[in-house]
Amino acid sequence: MAEMWISMGPQHPMTHGLWTLKVKVDGETIVDADPELGYLHRSVEKMGERRKYFMNTTLTDRLCYASSTTWTHSYVLAVEELMEVEVPTRAQYIRTIMLELQRLASHLMWAGAYMPDLGHITGALYFWRDRELFLNLLELPSGSRLLYNFMRIGGVKRDLPDGFEEKTERILKLFEQRLDEYADLFENSKIFRMRTEDVGKFTGSQAMNMGITGPNLRGCGVKHDLRVEDTYEIYEEIDWDVCTREAGPGYSDCFSRYMIRIDEMKESVKIIRDCFKKMPKGPTMSARVPIRASGEAFRRTEDSRGEALMYLVGDGSDRPYRWKIKSPMFTTISACPHYLKGYKLADIPAIMGSIDICIGETDK
Amino acid sequence: MTLFGLCKTMAELTADMFIVPVLRFQRNIFPPFSYPAGDLADWFASEGGIVTLAWIYAVNIAFAVGMTNLILVIHLERKIAARIQDRRGPMLSFRAFRELGEDLAGEAPTWRFKGNYSGIGIIQNMADGIKAITKELIIPNKADKFLFSMGPIIFISSSVFLLVLFPLSDRFAASAAPAGLMVIMAAFSIAPIGVLTSGWASNNKYSMIGGMRSAAQLMSYEIPLLLSMAGVFLLAGSYNPVDIVEQQREATWLFGLPMWNFIPQFIGFIVFMICILAEVERVPFDLPEAEAELVEGWTTEYSGIRYMLFLAAEYIRGFAGAAVATILFLGGWAGPWPVPPEIWFLLKVYLIIIFWIFIRWSVPRIRTDQILELGWKKLLPLSLINILIVIFMVEIYPYFADIVSLPEVF
Amino acid sequence: MDFSDLHKQLKSMEGVSKVSHIRKNVIKLDLEKSVSKVFFTKLKDDFYFEHCSLITAIDNQPDFELVYHLSCLSGELSVDGTKMSAMVEVHIHLQRDSPSVDSVSDLWFGANWHEREAFDLMGIYFIGHPDLRRVLLPEGFAGHPLRKDYVYEIHEEEW
Repeated sequence: MAEMWISMGPQHPMTHGLWTLKVKVDGETIVDADPELGYLHRSVEKMGERRKYFMNTTLTDRLCYASSTTWTHSYVLAVEELMEVEVPTRAQYIRTIMLELQRLASHLMWAGAYMPDLGHITGALYFWRDRELFLNLLELPSGSRLLYNFMRIGGVKRDLPDGFEEKTERILKLFEQRLDEYADLFENSKIFRMRTEDVGKFTGSQAMNMGITGPNLRGCGVKHDLRVEDTYEIYEEIDWDVCTREAGPGYSDCFSRYMIRIDEMKESVKIIRDCFKKMPKGPTMSARVPIRASGEAFRRTEDSRGEALMYLVGDGSDRPYRWKIKSPMFTTISACPHYLKGYKLADIPAIMGSIDICIGETDK
Repeated sequence: MTLFGLCKTMAELTADMFIVPVLRFQRNIFPPFSYPAGDLADWFASEGGIVTLAWIYAVNIAFAVGMTNLILVIHLERKIAARIQDRRGPMLSFRAFRELGEDLAGEAPTWRFKGNYSGIGIIQNMADGIKAITKELIIPNKADKFLFSMGPIIFISSSVFLLVLFPLSDRFAASAAPAGLMVIMAAFSIAPIGVLTSGWASNNKYSMIGGMRSAAQLMSYEIPLLLSMAGVFLLAGSYNPVDIVEQQREATWLFGLPMWNFIPQFIGFIVFMICILAEVERVPFDLPEAEAELVEGWTTEYSGIRYMLFLAAEYIRGFAGAAVATILFLGGWAGPWPVPPEIWFLLKVYLIIIFWIFIRWSVPRIRTDQILELGWKKLLPLSLINILIVIFMVEIYPYFADIVSLPEVF
Repeated sequence: MDFSDLHKQLKSMEGVSKVSHIRKNVIKLDLEKSVSKVFFTKLKDDFYFEHCSLITAIDNQPDFELVYHLSCLSGELSVDGTKMSAMVEVHIHLQRDSPSVDSVSDLWFGANWHEREAFDLMGIYFIGHPDLRRVLLPEGFAGHPLRKDYVYEIHEEEW
């Protein structure tokens, strides 16, 4: 067969959103790739310049439907840095709990979306069944299941409801049992490993240069986690470890990127438990939150997919003068020709699925 | 009484009571134009006509039995898949019909809020059929229109043809060809031509890659498949399903237990089961229609009843493949007395199908290069080893039986 | 290498001004446009900034400002012995009539699409960029919408 271009997307089972991947194949081997974005561009940055600071949390919620709280939190942190607002300790604990619950839900959503990419429909239903548990938990304090709008500038929307800790503990216990069960179905399965091992390899230094961060970078064995390295909220007071995996010396493949997320989910469970243990009583909202701000500030947080960076410039009015969002997937997708070349056509879903694409945040 | 005997009786009855009198009557209506009707009447009264009619009945009965089983297989697949995935599967279809009726009559739905969620799930197949028939048959503008319609015909007819080729027991057989299993495998091999045709004619890159994959998969799996069957043929000395099952029924093992072919030819059994799974294109070997990268593979451009029949034909092939496996390795219809042999046969077939359903919903799909590697590098040598073992058992061991007295195992 | 050493070394470099700590692990500085390529090459090769986090273009009417956020992820640069990862925030001021600067996408591949985005939405030209096309907006879109003087006009299109 001669070389030919195949256009995958914007509507294709592989894409997990709206984007186009044009691949040039020689028979079944990928020779070249060209990603294209913009189908979901909503000009969030431009809209943000027309809205007041506190109104923008609705926009940040909608950046990524799988992980909306982490994006709002990232924005809220940057605004607090800009306005120099102190957040009460209890609010920080509640935020951490919500962030980790959201990370669990997001990783489960990813795992559920990854399994059909490999031809495993049952896996999707199992992981999405578990995601429902965490959506139920997130619903209790915030009142909604997908777009929470729970993080507010200077604190959180409201305190945790009664009995939240017991319910969370019950669900976490169930979830841990289930993760152990799934190990036999997925990571110990021969065919699953045949599909994921030695596929989509890149080294840690390549990944940093290409702008790949988060779990994908930790899957290369690089111990980099912004929750520790640019610490925020109360992550440094909690007992937990940054987990790393590597497929070989310094590089990652789809399997190590799968495993790092499973490890991270277990770590999140640990963080939530420890938060409940150490959580003090007190107010959940800062007493004084200004409306206007000037100067510039940025904060970066560890989103479920990598490094989320919010850069804000204020001109003294109640609206941001410039608001820039750094999405981890934007650069990761841009590098996809590098880690797709040389693999088979059937590896495209396996590789692109394993890096956990979310087009909402990518297209902004 | 055999199926053919039954059909012959029916043919004699219908010929005597209905066909011959009607044709004789027609001959007398407009002479001389209606004289051929008289010739036809004479032919139906003769032995040749009766036998032909009996064959037609037998084939139709086998076809009906096969299609009934198809509905059961699809329903079984849905229910077991649902149970594996922690959900319920189709069970409200009948209620949906009722709701539709109430909607059409302009009434408020009465059953929805009662918490009585029960219905007849198997009707889901009917609902799917109705839906598929009522949909438009779209032919893409730049497709090769003739081949685009020929592809489904080749694929579906060769698959339906399989239904009449295997016997359910020595008495319930629509065909009694001496080379029965060879004919079945030949019919199995026609289908990829249809796949390739429809994949190419769709003028779609996904379809074409799907068709190519199908051809490559057939090439690499047909050889170990036939080689693993060769051991059974050697042991039975025949291609006839009836002879093969008779040989398995007579062979005994320790304590007089039956020695079906999967015991002495365990390697061959494993190779055959993997290859037939690839032959009928089920997960983990459903590469031609890998939905993650090829959208829907070679069926991407098909719609309506064609698409539906593609799916149905795949289940037919699955059913036929399981039947072949049963005949070759699981003793066919052999089983203890009180249960009739046809039921024994179907039980074994369903056992294999349930096994396949479990596989389908618990493993991912494997990759093209891996599947070819598995076929050529692993299954082909294994099937050759299996043949060597059988040759030793059948040809060489009897000469030495007097000198080296092995225990009476083989 | 330690972060405080970096502070001194950066101060002594050519074209660099207003070097200051804005957080414990972040250094902010202004850079002359003409020496940007030399400076970024040195940052990457000698100071272990192997990751380009973000390139932001700001329309400070009338001038443009480019903000580069570069970070060290591998932990080669230690910040006072803590686990924190070091970061540099580089500001480059551009004239409105010639908004162009040397591309850094050959140094950091991750900067490639950030530069394309800055070109797309703000109209900054990156000299030496391998593939400077629009990335988020469609081909043929007129204007650069994040500029403050951009006026939104509804274009009636026939479908």
